[in-house]
Amino acid sequence: MKTVAGKSVPETRAGDSLWRVVNKGSSFNRLALSVLAVLAAFAFTAVPISLSGKNPAVAYWALLRGAFGSVDAITFALNKSTPYILAGVGVAMCFRARIINIGGEGQIAVGGIVSSWIILTFPDLMSSVLIPLALVGAALAGAVWAGLPAMMRLRRGVHEVLSTLMLNFVGTLLVGEVLNGTMGEPGAGFPQSPLFPESGRLPILLPQTDLHSGILLALIAVVSCHFVLWYTPFGFRLRVLGSSSSAAIYAGISLSSTFLSVMLLSGALAGVAGGIEVMGIHYRLIEGFSSGFGFNAVAVALLGALNPLAILPSGLFFGFLEAGSLAMQREVGVPSSLVYVIEGVTMICVLCAMGFIGPRSRS
Amino acid sequence: MAGAIPFTCFMQPIPPMLEMRGICKTFGTVRANRNIDLTVERGRIVGLLGENGSGKSTLMKVLFGMVRPDAGTVSFNGHALQSHSPGDAIRAGICMIHQHFMLVEAMTVLENVMLGWSRAGTILKSIEIAKLIRTASKEYGLELSPKTRVSELGFGKRQRIEIVKAILRGAQLLILDEPTSNLSPVEVSSLFQVMRAFAAQGRSVVFISHKMGEVLDLCDEVVVLRAGEVTHRGPVQNATRADLARLMVGREISLSHVSETKVRGSELMTIEGLTLIESRPPIDGLSLSLRSGEIFALAGVDGNGQLELIETIAGLRRASKGKIILNGREITPLRPEARVAAGVAYIPVDRANTSLVPDMTVQDNLAFRDFNRPPLRKGIWLDKNAFLTRARTRIQQYQIACPGPQVAAQTLSGGNQQKIVLAREVGRKPTILLAFQPTWGLDPGATRFVLDEILALRDAGAAILYVSSELEEVVMLGDRLGVMFNGRLIGVSNRNELSMAEIGLLMSGDERTLS
Ligand SMILES: Nc1ncnc2c1ncn2[C@@H]1O[C@H](COP(=O)(O)OP(=O)(O)OP(=O)(O)O)[C@@H](O)[C@H]1O
Ligand SMILES: [Mg+2]
Repeated sequence: MKTVAGKSVPETRAGDSLWRVVNKGSSFNRLALSVLAVLAAFAFTAVPISLSGKNPAVAYWALLRGAFGSVDAITFALNKSTPYILAGVGVAMCFRARIINIGGEGQIAVGGIVSSWIILTFPDLMSSVLIPLALVGAALAGAVWAGLPAMMRLRRGVHEVLSTLMLNFVGTLLVGEVLNGTMGEPGAGFPQSPLFPESGRLPILLPQTDLHSGILLALIAVVSCHFVLWYTPFGFRLRVLGSSSSAAIYAGISLSSTFLSVMLLSGALAGVAGGIEVMGIHYRLIEGFSSGFGFNAVAVALLGALNPLAILPSGLFFGFLEAGSLAMQREVGVPSSLVYVIEGVTMICVLCAMGFIGPRSRS
Repeated sequence: MAGAIPFTCFMQPIPPMLEMRGICKTFGTVRANRNIDLTVERGRIVGLLGENGSGKSTLMKVLFGMVRPDAGTVSFNGHALQSHSPGDAIRAGICMIHQHFMLVEAMTVLENVMLGWSRAGTILKSIEIAKLIRTASKEYGLELSPKTRVSELGFGKRQRIEIVKAILRGAQLLILDEPTSNLSPVEVSSLFQVMRAFAAQGRSVVFISHKMGEVLDLCDEVVVLRAGEVTHRGPVQNATRADLARLMVGREISLSHVSETKVRGSELMTIEGLTLIESRPPIDGLSLSLRSGEIFALAGVDGNGQLELIETIAGLRRASKGKIILNGREITPLRPEARVAAGVAYIPVDRANTSLVPDMTVQDNLAFRDFNRPPLRKGIWLDKNAFLTRARTRIQQYQIACPGPQVAAQTLSGGNQQKIVLAREVGRKPTILLAFQPTWGLDPGATRFVLDEILALRDAGAAILYVSSELEEVVMLGDRLGVMFNGRLIGVSNRNELSMAEIGLLMSGDERTLS
């Protein structure tokens, strides 16, 4: 028995109290639920792994080692996470304003193209000039690629879901197009550009590893977006617009300029992600260099509950999961498609867990 | 009579339609319901009264299965309802019409009625249901055409949809949470007729309202809540408005004494030839001037162009033609933000979507029309300390009952949400206040407070445009008044020049009194 309003009343049923605990949604509960969700996802994926004739325990051990087993493994995973975080935080800003930008794929691709073009065109510039120049170029390219659908929406009422999706195909096919044409490496036999000069490669953070400085940019982007979203008038506009467009009009918020600005911002972030990928990993433009990044960015944004700071762990999670899964595929011979199964199932489990907690909020 | 007792023992006692026992509900530190008992007999209309935040909506949400009580039992027609969902409640025969309607605006009346109703079939029986809607609307005098889109309908009509929905689903018990807040007098009386017809068939109604007159008129008995507890229950007969008000608040509430304006100054705002072609009804060449230190009360049945007019002045709509001049400066091209800065405050009627952002905090809601100017903006940043200070002051000044500035606005009671809007708009000390039914959902004490604030604003030299469909309020407040009918402003006159009856006629478009 417990006391309510001075009178004792019977204890409510256990189910009810669980409901209340979940509903409270303290950060501890959130964390606990996310961990549970990840465990559940691994339990589910054990089934197809067994079906493919492998031992799930062995496979998961390989996955774990592949993600965290060595300095190389960790730096590899960090590099993998970088574009996800960058593009994911941009997507989150758009989704906050209820603008469904799913064009990350194309924006990343054109970012890669333009930065490669800049580097290959001005190979003699100092790296302190060339790298920022290439990154700015990538940002602009991504912004243009997102600005186009924004203008189509504002001028012609074409819904951004459709236009950003379509421009993904254009963007990714454009990579192949330029590689088969002017930017391709003569006689390579594979659609790729010539190798970048030293001055066009991102500096390495940790000597003797592959960890490039892109992760720093991702960090800066996350922190800046956090402050923009919660502490600036622009972020305030996004949040009001995302909650109710008629309240936004009442608050004097210009729907069109907010729409355009946040699309440009998220396009620029995705473009930079593309630039970093070519300048930090491949040192050249390769066909399909960014395949799936844009869609993963959407997943990362949702997993981070559209909260910039939470995009960091969410992006890292995807990066490490993918790095681990690749190792698992290499070492245990689990089919590569299972990597995507794991990613997908984890995503679904975590989103279900978040649905439990209720609407997104700051904490 | 002692002899009657053994006799009744033989009869199966008929349980009352609804019995709620010992309902408790706590939100964080707020004890919204403390051990509440509520019994509703068949064929009765029970009024549920109480100040803002006293727990009325919470109790009804518990009944309807939207909120899980911490303790207590609900039994309906002799069956226990436990951990039920709204769907279970509807199947059991309970329907609830909310403070804020829950209709899909982009869909038609028919589609809204069919939504979530198993009888509409897996493959929707549109024709059959449309016929049912027409019959029900005829039977109860609720004129509704099934094919209209909800977004084209005013508040009164939207409410009818909800009622028709309830009737068609065979509701035994209808819960109405402040149903009359936005209705014109005619609509209110037609609603009451429907309710009486409903009760005459042995069904029951729980009616929540802050309007004492309506409760006296409609209800058989009242239950009064204060701070989550039942403080009174009893029949309505012989009670007076003052009795009820005292029971609610626990002290005497004098009606607002509205003195005529002392300072009627120069013209503050002039509207010349305002034309809105696209609005329905269109407004063609409307002119109006507001003087410093006066309340211009605008009466009219909802949907006669009041909303369009007031939104145009606030800058939310563009006029096709015409000028709005504030203090000698034309503000027609200004955006809403700039008009706020120029001193135009606006209290919209639509709380669910426009005047409030339900999932943002109280603090953000108190700031969201001024965030882009000092003191709330400092350089490129929002000054969160200024947000907080302002929120604390306003919460205290306007007695907004909430756990703190950082909770989401949607967790506040309806009346307290409205206080946020008032605190934001009136607290800015505007020179022009555009108020669309600002006392909507406020209890008598809070209404009194708000009217006093508005009067103080007037006496400090502001001009107030007060739109209301309630005649009494219009007549009491207006230093000047006018009536909107079919997009035209008619019957502009000074205080006491027109009788209530004459204004009533003007509202229905009868202009004979003017000649
Ligand atoms: N979801 C919620 N979360 C937190 N607190 C809540 C929630 N819903 C209601 N409350 C609190 O419970 C109390 C009672 O609210 P309720 O909505 O029942 O009041 P009410 O009697 O309907 O008032 P009003 O006349 O203003 O509509 C209020 O103090 C309110 O802040
Ligand atoms: Mg309420």
